[in-house]
Amino acid sequence: MSLSFPTMAAIRFGYGLRPGVAPPQTKDDLIGQVTLVANGVPGFPVGGIEARHTAILDLQDRLKQIRQADGDDLTRRQQRRLLQRRAQVLFQMDANARLMQAVLSPDGFNERLATFWTNHFSTSAAKSLPMRLIVPLYEAEAIRPYMGAKFATLLRSATEHPSMLIYLDQAQSLGPDSKGGMQRNKGLNENLGRELLELHTLGAGSGYTQADVRSAAMVLTGLTVDQQAMETAFRPQISEPGAHEVLGVSYGGAKRTRKDYLAMLDDLAVNPKTAAHISRKLAVHFISDQPPQEMIEAMSEAWKKTDGDLTAVYRAMLDHPAAWRDEGAKARQPFDFIVTGLRALNSGSGAGDVAAFMQAYQQDDADNDEMMAMPKKDAAPAADGQAMMQAPPSPEDEARIKRRKAFQMARALGQGALRRMGQPTWLPPSPAGFEESFSAWITASQLSERLSWARRASAQFAGDVDPRDFLKATLADAARDETIRVVSQAPNRVSGLTLVLASPEFNRR
Amino acid sequence: MTEFTLSRRGFLTSACCLAAAPIFTPVTFAAMPGDKRFVTIVLRGAMDGLDLVQPYGDAGFAALRPTLSLTPDKGLIDLDGHFGLNPAAADLMPLWKAKELAFVHAVSTPYRDQRSHFDGQDMLESGGEHVAEEKTGWLNRALAVIPRSDARKAIDVNTSTELILTGPNNVDVWASDSNLGPAKDEMQFLMRLYAGDPAFAKAMDEAMRANSASMMAEPSGQRGEKITDVAALAGNMLKGDYRIASFSITGWDTHVGQLAQFKRPVQDLAQAITTLKATMGADLWSKTVVLAMTEFGRTVRENGSGGTDHGTGGCAVLAGGAIDGGRILGRWPGLADGALLDDRDLMPTADVRELAAAMLYRQFDVSAEDLTGKIFPGLSFDEGSQFLRA
Repeated sequence: MSLSFPTMAAIRFGYGLRPGVAPPQTKDDLIGQVTLVANGVPGFPVGGIEARHTAILDLQDRLKQIRQADGDDLTRRQQRRLLQRRAQVLFQMDANARLMQAVLSPDGFNERLATFWTNHFSTSAAKSLPMRLIVPLYEAEAIRPYMGAKFATLLRSATEHPSMLIYLDQAQSLGPDSKGGMQRNKGLNENLGRELLELHTLGAGSGYTQADVRSAAMVLTGLTVDQQAMETAFRPQISEPGAHEVLGVSYGGAKRTRKDYLAMLDDLAVNPKTAAHISRKLAVHFISDQPPQEMIEAMSEAWKKTDGDLTAVYRAMLDHPAAWRDEGAKARQPFDFIVTGLRALNSGSGAGDVAAFMQAYQQDDADNDEMMAMPKKDAAPAADGQAMMQAPPSPEDEARIKRRKAFQMARALGQGALRRMGQPTWLPPSPAGFEESFSAWITASQLSERLSWARRASAQFAGDVDPRDFLKATLADAARDETIRVVSQAPNRVSGLTLVLASPEFNRR
Repeated sequence: MTEFTLSRRGFLTSACCLAAAPIFTPVTFAAMPGDKRFVTIVLRGAMDGLDLVQPYGDAGFAALRPTLSLTPDKGLIDLDGHFGLNPAAADLMPLWKAKELAFVHAVSTPYRDQRSHFDGQDMLESGGEHVAEEKTGWLNRALAVIPRSDARKAIDVNTSTELILTGPNNVDVWASDSNLGPAKDEMQFLMRLYAGDPAFAKAMDEAMRANSASMMAEPSGQRGEKITDVAALAGNMLKGDYRIASFSITGWDTHVGQLAQFKRPVQDLAQAITTLKATMGADLWSKTVVLAMTEFGRTVRENGSGGTDHGTGGCAVLAGGAIDGGRILGRWPGLADGALLDDRDLMPTADVRELAAAMLYRQFDVSAEDLTGKIFPGLSFDEGSQFLRA
């Protein structure tokens, strides 16, 4: 028996149900999210896109000053550490803002697509210090605006962004026979060329050769990052001269320009292998680890008909009957689990209790510096009454401790939990992104972590909600009879909510 | 004010660290008028009062509970020749002997028939006559009518305010750093939750075999140590400006294998009470009342899986230097044929709200009028209440 459309739409194609917010009623509602939100501004990078560009330049300047400063190593190390801490705080605030964006957004499908594409075009903030500031910006300005556009547009936008160029070492790649390459005696770095074919477009094992990889990397030479402006640049003097053949098509010539690699990207974007690879990947992400072949074919067909119009591809996926049956075949990944859990618990007025609480994470830097510098845990008081007793704290202490506790709890329920569950925001393990399969995410240790999270979140946000009502509001007709029975018999309210969040159907989609 | 804080700190430092020389003379507490303390402990999951305080003197008790009932020659600790204390609570015996501990049998809220944990706990904490009648907690409403209560704060030792202290009056919430793991009773529910889903059942099974700390009930003692964190935190706060504290103990829903399952929460309860006493010190303890109560009791007969199911009449625990203990209070209805409610539950002979009202009356001079009008609507209470003699 299949679920009702709104439940399926919310669980399979969004971040679950939120009490008081109507789920999508039609396919048009889902598709509409993508087209409507394209110009929306996400809640990150904190401070906005313009301010972030400035902050990145500022960080570069300071790092340069430290590098060039005379003075002893210790001072320089301390200065660098301070910069690191600030960048880290900003990064964590961005990550929390991303989490809250997903929790609060009424456009779950659009948010899910943002997660999908950011993961498809993976870049990691762990690559370097400036990347802590750049990766969130990348998602906001290079991925989100183009998720409903032609794939060629999205591919171009992602490939050209400094985040991608830094992550996949494109800035280190010089044409070996180019002027600049010969002067510096440096050569080709194949990283971006390889991942472009293997991950971003054609897909592994689709028939391209090592020669294609090398040629693609040659076509990409010249594309680099201007270290002064921290912007994408094309430098002909490091671009490998001549024509380079990728999949039998020749790019470049005597005079190399940007147009060469753009032409290659455009061709790759409409290649049938790319269409099949990405259609399959979307279907695997949304529907099942083994999606039906005819669904992938229908999506590829739409790709071909529209020259890779992504909205048409999503539509083809939603139009296929398999999109609306066999629910729960996928495991919710940690980000999905946590966002869905917080959405479900987010009652209250306005943005909701959860949002108000998670704001504790968005402290100003000074407060955060102080927080980060603090020891993680007070020594636990001994129970025998013989040990040191703490005096009751003063009101200022109380306020500070309360703030710190709220901060720590917000971290524990957000980024801390994501780290423990193996899906820290913007920190994928490799250019291939996070694991996708069911078995990767439903394991003993994963379940322990999820239970522990469910318990903490339930205790934090239980309010006066009756677990039976919570189950109805959260899982609607997806709740199994056994879950309804078990939850209604739970020994207390917090246990009841915990059991809802820990249930198989809450962890599947 | 600051000075006062400092002197209190000095006092505390000297009082609890014998090695430290006293900086100020410790007169602050003793001389302060109105420094009584009240702690409520909510026992969530329906504590089996007949297992904690066993009526071994009742003919038929052993037959009703062939595997769960004990006798003094089988380890039960005799209390008064008729009732005996479950050996898991042995740590409480010094308090019993010092008359700082009492048990109140056959009490319940007005909640009847449905036996839902959520509704039962809501009634217990909101203090109403019917389900969903009151939206705030009775202890919070009490804050408003306690004379001079602006100077007296209440705390909830939890991650968020529990219903009993929820309401318009200001309450502070303090979380102990301990993250109490799942109680054994929750584990049973998890097993059932995953029974029909092989992938989850397998992961759960592996997690249990790996004895992963975050899931399994930890080895003996560890969880008790954590409840002591909670109790020590409450005790420490009560040494300051706080007059009222509340926290919960879970793990009481013993449908299966009660003989083993019941020990842990009982030990938690015993340790919570002894830790409060140790933390607060003798002087403050003498002004303190602790009331531990549960949403309802459990069936008189044990069920087919060595446990008990949801019942009605339960047992409340009173502790503290301010009570006249060493006694079993309440009117014992007995277990004879015809004496049970619906032929299954211990018959309630008193309203647990009357017991709570008596403690508020005694500790904070809350008037009978406020008690029956604002705090426990529909309750009958006057100066003649049996519980004022506790």
